[in-house]
Amino acid sequence: MTARGFATNIRLGLVAGLVVLCFGVLAVRLVQLHVIDRDHYLSQIQNTRHDIVPVLARRGDIYDTRRDLLATSQTEITLAVDPWALSKKLDLPRSPARREKVASAELEKRGRLAAELGMSAADMEAFFTPSWRDVSVDRDTRDEVADGRVRVEWKKLREGVSEEVFARIAALRVTGLTAERTYRRVYPHNELAAHLIGFLNKEGAASGGVESFADLYLSGHSGWREVERDGRRTELAQFRTREVTPSNGWGVVLSIDTAIQHIVEQELGAIVANFKPGKATIIVSDAQTGFLLALANYPTFNLNAYGSAKPEVQRNIAVSDLIEPGSTFKIVAAAGALNEGMVKPDSKFDCTLTTINYAGKVRRFMRDDHRYDHALTVAEIISLSSNVGAAQLAMRLGDRPFYDYMRLFGFGERSGFPLGHEEPGILADPAKWTTPDITRIPAGYSVAVTPLQIHYAMGTIASGGNLMRPQLIRQVLDAQGEVVYSFKPAVRRTVLAPATAQSMALMLQKVVSEEGTAKVAAIPGFEVAGKTGTAQKIIGGRYSDRDHVGSFVGFFPASRPRVVMTVVVDDGHPPNGRIGYGSVVAAPSFRKIAEQLIQYMDIKPVVAPVTGGLIARNEKALP
Amino acid sequence: MNTLNRRAFATQIFLSALLMVGVGGGLGFSIVDMRHRISVSANNARVMEQSIAESGRRLAEIGGQVAAEQSPEVLERRNQSLALGLGLPRENQVVRVAVSAGERLAAKRNAEIFASENGLVSMPIRFNLGGAPR
Repeated sequence: MTARGFATNIRLGLVAGLVVLCFGVLAVRLVQLHVIDRDHYLSQIQNTRHDIVPVLARRGDIYDTRRDLLATSQTEITLAVDPWALSKKLDLPRSPARREKVASAELEKRGRLAAELGMSAADMEAFFTPSWRDVSVDRDTRDEVADGRVRVEWKKLREGVSEEVFARIAALRVTGLTAERTYRRVYPHNELAAHLIGFLNKEGAASGGVESFADLYLSGHSGWREVERDGRRTELAQFRTREVTPSNGWGVVLSIDTAIQHIVEQELGAIVANFKPGKATIIVSDAQTGFLLALANYPTFNLNAYGSAKPEVQRNIAVSDLIEPGSTFKIVAAAGALNEGMVKPDSKFDCTLTTINYAGKVRRFMRDDHRYDHALTVAEIISLSSNVGAAQLAMRLGDRPFYDYMRLFGFGERSGFPLGHEEPGILADPAKWTTPDITRIPAGYSVAVTPLQIHYAMGTIASGGNLMRPQLIRQVLDAQGEVVYSFKPAVRRTVLAPATAQSMALMLQKVVSEEGTAKVAAIPGFEVAGKTGTAQKIIGGRYSDRDHVGSFVGFFPASRPRVVMTVVVDDGHPPNGRIGYGSVVAAPSFRKIAEQLIQYMDIKPVVAPVTGGLIARNEKALP
Repeated sequence: MNTLNRRAFATQIFLSALLMVGVGGGLGFSIVDMRHRISVSANNARVMEQSIAESGRRLAEIGGQVAAEQSPEVLERRNQSLALGLGLPRENQVVRVAVSAGERLAAKRNAEIFASENGLVSMPIRFNLGGAPR
């Protein structure tokens, strides 16, 4: 007899039917889930599991030339509270004893949270007390009942919580407490170089300074990723679908040096204390490259408290404010006449004249403060700051060539300094000059310039005749700190022949000599070249006898210039009712800063040191 | 086909189906296990990523604190409060030497060598007893 085994027809049919039935049930369920109820379940998933997480880019840092941090980004946490979270948690089915225990534990946690944030427990409880907010009925869609009020589910508890404090707070695991991490811009040096650095406001928008100018480099691009979360809102990392990684901002290295900037700002503080000026500015730059080493203004503000700074103190007056330069402007006429070969340093001019016939008209000179008993050389016109002499030098050049030299020196045009809304200044075309202009403009009146323009005009002589482009950014670094781009010194134009610049430097040295107008700026053992300036301010449409803009612009060592420096004190009032001459309010500060720079920058004297004889004496003392 | 062969074939099919269910189940379990491992790895990577970000944040915070502490203003305040008296030298405190430091040190060193070769260096001393030196 043949064995029939398990596989009888009936059994096979039953098994096959069972399998088909199972698959049929599965198929029906699958159709129900994936076709019929698809939208319902997808929306549930979208609401509960799907999330888009922004990944913020970190803004690049700003460094000084020694790579000291001037501006950096730090994270801070904004804490918020959902007052209804605890009641929702307590509403879950649980025993009264358990509910009591949870509530008591949460109360204790909130007490510790209050202590961490320096708040009273009562204030903290007020944040966690459930409340309602009135809304119009048609907008009341956040809960099931359209009664014109909705639950307040988000209350900001505290901004600017540091990571350190937040780590302790997070460990408490307070129910209903949420945290959002944002970047905050931090300026470690507070007021230092405030007008150069600029700041980032609450909205994260750059305002002024390098922050604004280099925003393209600094800002970076934020990223995002699509994630799914589980029931506890924890990210399910394996379900990250799409991700755009953030690219952090690049760093910017400035040419300023915090130490030099500090020296300058200290001296500016001394000027403010001594002379109580309305405004003051000090600019220091590298004589050969034109890179700024320091730039400070008074009034100034704290970058970390920009909100309390008025708009007028945020202005970079070195580039945005116009002044009549006074005698510092005399370098233009002198350099122009020398460069054209029309005069020599020892050419003489009668500076006792009160009027002169020029271009068919009688012109009245601006009077000099001193009477001279002899004709002045060009060198003396500079060192003694003769208005009459400067006017005659300009007349020797002629209106149009003199105007051209002013333009060549950078007056009447923007220097290209990218920060602080630079003003071009006011310099009228010779066709529009009035009769007295040719006597006034060479002495620094009837023109309006910025302190930065005066500075770089003097820098033209220091650099050997080249007008340099004012530059502040030395390098751009990528997010890893590697140098991406280095800025090189840029010559805007050649203004003077090197020999002319050399002659001017020699003449400007006499300004700080015993006979010059600024002997207080002299530094023993060092060649200092410079020019004082004192311009009367126009108050109520008339030149004031009390209010002056005093300035000193110079460089050193004169025969091998390293540093160009400008000190401008607007409306300074020296003690004892003296006039705020440049030699009184500005030149001493030039010397004080220069003395410190000599040590800090290791600037060697070019002239023979006064202690040169020590070597011979010391050699005798050798054992 | 006779009945015997048909049944044998059906049995083979049945056994094959069972085998396929077993293999499929095993494969399913493997996939589930693999997915579990992927999720664990992804989660570990996420935790590590958070940890790196946390370190970066701490570094930035500490960097900012260090920069603030190294600010010239703060250093100067510390200098005053601790009465350290540190500061830049003034020009009148500096003795500028016109010869090269190398030559000067070499001269000093050579003088010491030559002095030792000559033996002890004696210097005449005269005592003035009981009176002012002549």
